[in-house]
Amino acid sequence: MLSSGRHLGVADVVGSNLDWTVQLDEVRVGFGPKQILKGISANLPKGKVTAIIGPTGCGKTTLLRSINRLHDRRPGFNLKGRILLDGESIYAGSTDVRELRRRVGMLFQRPNPFPQSIRENISLGARIHGLWSRADVSTKTEYLLREVGLWDAVHDRLSSTPFSLSGGQQQLLCMARVLAVEPNVLLLDEPTSSLDPHSTTRIEELIAGLKEKMTVIFVTHNLQQAARCADEILFLEQGEVVEQAPVKQFFDDPADPRSRAYISGWAV
Amino acid sequence: MRFNLTAGGAGDSAGPTFLPSARRLAGADLTGRDRAVRWVLLGAGLVPTLMLLFLTAEMVREAIPAFVYSGWGLFTGHVFTFGNLYVTKLTVHNGVSAPHGAAYGALPFIFGTLVSSLIALIVAVPVAVGAVLALTERVPARLQPGVSVFLELLAGMPSVVYGFWGILVFGPILAQHLFPVLTHLGGVLPFFKGSVGYGEGLLTASLVLAIMIIPIIAATTRELVRTVPILAKEGALALGMTQYETAKVVTLPYVRRGILAAAILGWARALGETMAVLMISGDLLNGFPANIYSPFSTIAATIVAMLDSALTDATGMAIHALAAIGVILLVITLVTNLLGRLIIRRVSHGVVLPVGRGV
Ligand SMILES: Nc1ncnc2c1ncn2[C@@H]1O[C@H](COP(=O)(O)OP(=O)(O)O)[C@@H](O)[C@H]1O
Ligand SMILES: [Mg+2]
Repeated sequence: MLSSGRHLGVADVVGSNLDWTVQLDEVRVGFGPKQILKGISANLPKGKVTAIIGPTGCGKTTLLRSINRLHDRRPGFNLKGRILLDGESIYAGSTDVRELRRRVGMLFQRPNPFPQSIRENISLGARIHGLWSRADVSTKTEYLLREVGLWDAVHDRLSSTPFSLSGGQQQLLCMARVLAVEPNVLLLDEPTSSLDPHSTTRIEELIAGLKEKMTVIFVTHNLQQAARCADEILFLEQGEVVEQAPVKQFFDDPADPRSRAYISGWAV
Repeated sequence: MRFNLTAGGAGDSAGPTFLPSARRLAGADLTGRDRAVRWVLLGAGLVPTLMLLFLTAEMVREAIPAFVYSGWGLFTGHVFTFGNLYVTKLTVHNGVSAPHGAAYGALPFIFGTLVSSLIALIVAVPVAVGAVLALTERVPARLQPGVSVFLELLAGMPSVVYGFWGILVFGPILAQHLFPVLTHLGGVLPFFKGSVGYGEGLLTASLVLAIMIIPIIAATTRELVRTVPILAKEGALALGMTQYETAKVVTLPYVRRGILAAAILGWARALGETMAVLMISGDLLNGFPANIYSPFSTIAATIVAMLDSALTDATGMAIHALAAIGVILLVITLVTNLLGRLIIRRVSHGVVLPVGRGV
């Protein structure tokens, strides 16, 4: 897969190919006059893990947040081009933003549990979206806590505050909270950058297990982590796509000299 | 001679000499001028405490004869009168003499003070918090400073203006349009039944008090809401919650304790508010309001209203009586403040508050 010639025309995208979950079509994002993303086009494959990498400030977070419309209320935010989710433009007027955000879950750079009990952290979203009945809460909460590997640590204090948990545990709780609303796409913005090695491993294992059920897009500044976890690499520089390639190809034989420079610079 | 602002005295002998600041605080290397400055600062720090003690002591001293004369009657009596100031005949009670027929029963004022301030608080807190949430979510960031100036202006408006507006405009409107509707609540809450009057009375005064304390509560709440980390709110938004749900799930729990403190601040203001209440209360002496619309009075308003005639009491008992209800107000204010602090501590007990943790 080459970096050049990958810009999709509208015709390629419409009548959508459902091998792709998220399609970026000439996405330009700016805040006021400041242009951050300068025409990003890429197809992110369904049921795979795509790692977005690139130097600090290249627009990784900006891109990720565009995919569940978290920029909407930022002053000066403007977006041109299209982002398609299962073939439908998410910035179209008819989009139900709440439902979009349910389908596109997000884990942030630092854990941000709600100031609610541990149980409510997990159940509130699912209850609000009408996915769980009151009777579901205890069994489904337990299931999710087991899934993320927190059950043993918190089963005896589900009613207490999450802020006494370690940072890694809080991030795992946030993961369970996102999984509770049954997303199709999971966005992760450097989810392990502030975590201990154990929690980092746990998150990486989860990512590997989850791609059966959903498309995972994660930003990382750690190339080893990208190599470990990703199927596909999307390499950005200064708001543009340098290269998109399967992970092995990207690291063994990158097509673009800038990719080569970035990889080797990192290895040193 | 040496004195220590901190407990750093021990630091000179055995303690941690690796802490240079502790040594400096302990006074080891101060020049004479530094010492003088420290004395001044120490004195300045003590002034408020001394003033509070002095004021309280003076008030209590002034009030003692009335306490002796009326005993528990001061708290339980329904009749507050200075007696006949124009005849020389005296009434003697517990060894204290007062003008003939004098009685100092403050229960109606205590009731009025507590009830009006509580109604004000019940109305003001949800309105202030709701308004702040609506404003911070809806008003564009560049207009926000304007909002805070507006709140401060409102908070700083003289209470006489509120009183005037209350008696001339607000009260009559309420009596005409709102109160008749409220009487339908009479089936469930009997004190909403009966004549609505002309808009001078307990409910009008309470609502004006509410309007007066809304800016106080709102200003504090607004500062609190601004400290809630964006990241925390985005967690809720990213999960598909609405702004309303985000406010409920994230913002409010973050600021709950602070709102309680803000409410207590507002309550203190409502308890002590004098002028506006005096103008709107209808100034009922010697009894309780017949219903929530009826005239009533508060301690603060009564002191102002009766000060003039109290000064004409040759026995001095009238002034002692006003001082006594002043002491009662002081105690109510102190108790509510302490109670408030206790509630705050209770609510936060065992909970690690996330505010300021930079989560
Ligand atoms: N709300 C905003 N307003 C203006 N500039 C922004 C905003 N958010 C991000 N930026 C800018 O966009 C650029 C890319 O940021 P970001 O997407 O966070 O980069 P990355 O995640 O790759 O490090 C940076 O130069 C940053 O300063
Ligand atoms: Mg980033």
